Amino acid sequence: MDVSPKPMYLPTEEPERHFSDEELVWTAEEQERIDAWVAKYPTADGAVMWVLWLAQEKFGWLPAGVIQLVADSLDLPYAKVFGVATFYTQYYKKEMGRFVLDVCTCFSCQLCGGYDILHYLEETLGIPKGGTTEDGLFSIQEAECLGACGSAPMLQVTNGPYVHNLTPEKCDRLIASLRAGELPAFESVTLPQDEVDLDGNRRSDVEVIEQYVTPPVSETVH
Amino acid sequence: MEAPKLNDGKTKAGDWRSYERVLLPPVRDLHTLDVYEQHGGYSALRAVLSDGKFDPKGLATHVKESGLRGRGGAAFNTGLKWSFMPPVDPDVPRFLCCNGDESEPGTFKDRQLFEYNPHLVIEGMVLANYAISAAVCYIYIRGEYADWIRQFQHAVDEAYAAGYIGQNILGSDFSTDIVVHKGAGAYICGEETSLMESLEGKRGYPRVKPPFPAQKGIWARPTTINNVETLAHVPLIVNRGAEWFAGIGAQKHPGPTIYGISGHINKPGAYEYPTGMLISDLIDGVCGGMRGGKKFKALVPGGSSTPVLTAEQCEGVTMDADSLREAGSMMGTAGMLVMDEDTDMVSFLRRITHFYHHESCGQCTPCREGTGWLEKLVTRIDEGEGHLRDLDLLLELCDNMEGRTICALADAAAWPVRWTIRRFRSEFEAKCRPSTFAGTDLDGDGATVVAEPTPVI
Repeated sequence: MDVSPKPMYLPTEEPERHFSDEELVWTAEEQERIDAWVAKYPTADGAVMWVLWLAQEKFGWLPAGVIQLVADSLDLPYAKVFGVATFYTQYYKKEMGRFVLDVCTCFSCQLCGGYDILHYLEETLGIPKGGTTEDGLFSIQEAECLGACGSAPMLQVTNGPYVHNLTPEKCDRLIASLRAGELPAFESVTLPQDEVDLDGNRRSDVEVIEQYVTPPVSETVH
Repeated sequence: MEAPKLNDGKTKAGDWRSYERVLLPPVRDLHTLDVYEQHGGYSALRAVLSDGKFDPKGLATHVKESGLRGRGGAAFNTGLKWSFMPPVDPDVPRFLCCNGDESEPGTFKDRQLFEYNPHLVIEGMVLANYAISAAVCYIYIRGEYADWIRQFQHAVDEAYAAGYIGQNILGSDFSTDIVVHKGAGAYICGEETSLMESLEGKRGYPRVKPPFPAQKGIWARPTTINNVETLAHVPLIVNRGAEWFAGIGAQKHPGPTIYGISGHINKPGAYEYPTGMLISDLIDGVCGGMRGGKKFKALVPGGSSTPVLTAEQCEGVTMDADSLREAGSMMGTAGMLVMDEDTDMVSFLRRITHFYHHESCGQCTPCREGTGWLEKLVTRIDEGEGHLRDLDLLLELCDNMEGRTICALADAAAWPVRWTIRRFRSEFEAKCRPSTFAGTDLDGDGATVVAEPTPVI
């Protein structure tokens, strides 16, 4: 019997291949970064989360072939890396849109209209949460607390910039700029106490300064 | 004789209106090394390493005397925690972990430090490394904070280049490293043993204690784990002295702290004030009152797992561990969620139970099954399909979850359910399907089924 060296999701299925062997390699620059991470931990295991992040940035998500690549480059068993990749929610186990909108609906956002924003985006893009648009541009997810409760409601774009104090208009602008391929700039949410002392601007290297604003009244859930 | 009440309606924060901020002082571009140095940055490190102000043990004792209590939720004395580390053995490396996995709903204070004052955190980490003789400090930042991880890494690189981290820091014989670790979206990794597992590159399953981290931590070596904000206090204590720190805010829980206030208030945000602020001062004096002039109904004082307080229970209560315990809740992370009179407590609880169901790691049965069961029951009640007996079933479930698991996530999931039902039972009863016997007097004692709303306990 021919035993495949590549582990499979189920013993009866051949794993679907999403990337060719030529694609599943690191560039010299990426290998350098991996070596630097490995050097920072007593064992190579410590670097696995960093390398999974790198793989996700490179390939977009983590199918079996990519997990195998990470395992090989750290000399770890496939099962261990698969276990790590499936434990953490931010590692994508399925193909996602180019821009993943993680809309926070946890309680602070819930009380300030997080669900209104989620539903507005679902209607605007025509997909339910967890879905991806047909053009492969957008995915919407319901996120747990993202730690920006003071500027609720908010969302995060593909593990990148936070977009604070959302309104339907701000969502429209965001979607338009994403369609044009532009990621939103880093928004520095200033501290309320600084409005008195620093005119609300703490950092001169950031262009977009967001003030804390009175949260809107939620339409659906209070 | 009855013990004197802690909550006598007096603030413990003194003249808070003229309080001068120290963690997030009003200095523009403080996140850059130049500006930080101009404002006395790294002087505490210099005093300790170059001028010999403290030896490691002396520094730990000094921090212990200051009364600094952990700002991550458990409010344990930091200097005391450091003293649990075993005696130094040159063959055994020791580690410090800085817990920046700020995932407790309602909490957003550490992010302000990463963004506006990262060098204060770095200085605190190096000082703590010195106090416990640790070789490396791993700072675990949640994966969602990708932008802030980048910014913090930049600050670490700056500090390395300036010689504040690395070999023979400031010409002394002390060497230490700081490694930034990026999480990937797991609330459970804020639990200290789970954080250690995650750092070792495993699934974030909490470990059984004992052995405690001070005995066997990351890679089975002695480890101390402190919150970001806790470590940021250390340089301030070195510079200004333990007495200064102990004199700020509530006597038994002293120091400045960052309150993250969100919800139905006019000016939400992260505010730095002393501990022991009156809740009413924070809502009305600091945050400009309730949104739209509505009535204040309920407060979650320190992140989603701390029991919710009714407006009546908040009267005269100050934000410190002892005062909040007396009121029936906990200080937690000081991430306060304020709710107005329109808030539906059942929907609110439904979202919390969903959170814990999503975040349970699945290692222990009472938590894995219990959190899902809690969510299903509360959802059923919220949708009007619940029965009155479900409320008692929920409380019974809480009994079977609390204290029966490896880590405290099951407790954290059960407390909001238990206390929201206890304190707002009438709202839950109102959403349940009426009993077949509603309004009838079954046993002839004059009490009808679904009687008056259960009084607040």
